[in-house]
Amino acid sequence: MQTIVIAKRVITQLKGDKRFLILSIVAPVIIVYFLKLMFNALTKLTVVPMPEMFPMPLPQLSTEKFVMPVTAFIVHFLSFILCSILLVQERTRGTLERMLISGYKKSSIILGYVVGYFGLATIQSVVILTEAIYLFDLNFDGKTLVILFMVIWMLAIVSVMLGIFISTFARNEGHIFPFIPLIILPSLFLTGVIVDANELPKVAEIIGYLLPLRYANNIIQIIGKPDYVLSEVILNFGILLGYATALWFLASKTMKETE
Amino acid sequence: MNAVNIKGLTKNYGKNEVLKHIDLEVPEGVIYGLIGPNGAGKTTLIKALVGALKPTQGSVEVFGLEPIKNRWELRKKIGYMPQSPALYTDISARRNITFFGRAQKIINLEEKVQKILEFTELENRADEPVRTFSGGMQKRVSLACALIHEPKILFLDEPTAAVDPHLKQRSWQLFRSLAKTGVTLFISTHLMDEAMLCDKITILKDGEMLAVNTPENILSMGKTRIELIRNGERLKTEISSKPADLLSELKKFGLDRSIENIKINSDNIEDVVLSIINNKK
Repeated sequence: MQTIVIAKRVITQLKGDKRFLILSIVAPVIIVYFLKLMFNALTKLTVVPMPEMFPMPLPQLSTEKFVMPVTAFIVHFLSFILCSILLVQERTRGTLERMLISGYKKSSIILGYVVGYFGLATIQSVVILTEAIYLFDLNFDGKTLVILFMVIWMLAIVSVMLGIFISTFARNEGHIFPFIPLIILPSLFLTGVIVDANELPKVAEIIGYLLPLRYANNIIQIIGKPDYVLSEVILNFGILLGYATALWFLASKTMKETE
Repeated sequence: MNAVNIKGLTKNYGKNEVLKHIDLEVPEGVIYGLIGPNGAGKTTLIKALVGALKPTQGSVEVFGLEPIKNRWELRKKIGYMPQSPALYTDISARRNITFFGRAQKIINLEEKVQKILEFTELENRADEPVRTFSGGMQKRVSLACALIHEPKILFLDEPTAAVDPHLKQRSWQLFRSLAKTGVTLFISTHLMDEAMLCDKITILKDGEMLAVNTPENILSMGKTRIELIRNGERLKTEISSKPADLLSELKKFGLDRSIENIKINSDNIEDVVLSIINNKK
C-alpha cells in the first residue's frame, strides 16, 4: 500500500517536472544520434585502407555487436544519474526524513521509487530502441525485438535501484558525481561492450562480473547469434533480477533513518 | 505521565559536543518552548525526540516510548514540523497533506484533510501548487502535514521563523487551540518574545540548558529601573522585576507632592532571556 502511494507521488512529481521528463527522453535520443554520427565516421575510416594506422581490423565495433550494448549503456547511465539525484533531492529538501518520521518504511520508499519509474523506463526503452533500429537500419525478428526491449527496460530498473543505493551514501547532489567514474564508466570498459571481457586481465574481468551492464550485454550478444539458446538468456535475466533484488535489500539497509 | 522525559542526553558530532547532559521533563498538554539562539542545539534536541538522531549518551522517552527502539509505535503519536517546509512544491497543499497522511492508516482521510485545511485556513488555496505559496503559507501546509494523523504531541522546529507578524499571531492562536484539545506542543524558537506565549520554557545555549521555568518566573529574574524626580532632584534605583519588590520600593518614596515625575522601566522577556544567554558567555 505504502509503495503504491509513493509510486503515485513519484509519477505525479515526474509529470509535473517537464524539464526532467524532457531530459530523460530527449537526452538519450540525442546521444544515440551522436553515436550514429560516430559510426558513420568510423565506417568511412575502416573503408579507407590505412594499414599502417590500423594494422588490425576493428571487429568489436561492428554495428550489430556495438550499437545495442552502447544504447543499453546510455539508458543505464541516465537512469542511474537521474534517479540518484532525484532521491538525493528528497534528502536535501527534508522530505525523505519527513516521510520516514511520518511512518513510511524504507523498503516501501525504495520500491515506490522503482514502481514510479516503471513508466519512464518503459518510454525510455521504447524510444531509444526504436531510434537505434531506425538510425542503424537494424533488422530483428519479433522475438529478438521483445528480448531487446526487455533487457534495456530491465537494465533501466536495475540502474534505478543502483541510483537509489548510491544515493544513500550522498548528502547532496555533488556527492553523486564521484560515483560516475567509479561505477558507471568502468561498465563501458569492463563488461564486454567495447572489447571482449574474456580478454581482460583477471581482476578487470572480476570487476566486470560485478557490474549489471555485463549481463545486459551478455543477453544482447547471445540473441545476436542465429542459433541462440533461450535458457542462456533467461539465466542472464535472472542475474539482473537478482542484482535488482540485492540492491533493493542493500539500499534498505544503507538508507539512514537516524543521524 | 510526562509527555517527554530526557535524562543526561548528550550528542557529539566528532569532538563537537552539540548537546550537553540535557535533563528535561515536559508535562502533557502544555506548550513547551525551547528558546535559544541559532546553533544552540534546538534542532538536534528535537531530532533526538522524533527518532531522527541517535543520542551519544543518555535516554529519551516520548510517552514512555524510546524514539528509535519503538519508532513504529511512536510515529503514530508524534507530529513533526521541520525547520524547512519539507514539502513537494510541485503538488498542491491538499496532495501534500494526503500523501503524508497515507503513511498511517487513517480512516476518512479525505474528510480529515479538508478539516485540517480549514483549521489551518488553507482551504481557499488548497488545490494550488505549494510553490506559489508565501513562506508563511508553506509553514502552515507543513503544520497541516504534521497534524493530519491527530498526534498526541507536536514537535515544531522554528514554526514562526521568517513569518510576518500577523501570521505569527495567527499561528500562536492555532497552537493554543491545539493545546486546549490536549495536544502537547514542543516548540523551538530563536525569537525570545515568543517565550511569553509558552507555558514553560527551557533556555538553551551551546547545547547547555541555562534555565527551565515558566515565562513569568523567567521574567521576574529581570530588573526594573525606577527613576524619580523629587524637588528637582533625579533619583535612580534598580530592583528585581518581582511585583512585591516594586511596591515596597515605591513605598519608600511615598506619594507626596514633591514627586514631580516617575519612570518605571522593566526588562521584557527578551531582555531577560538575552541577559541569561549573555551571562553564560
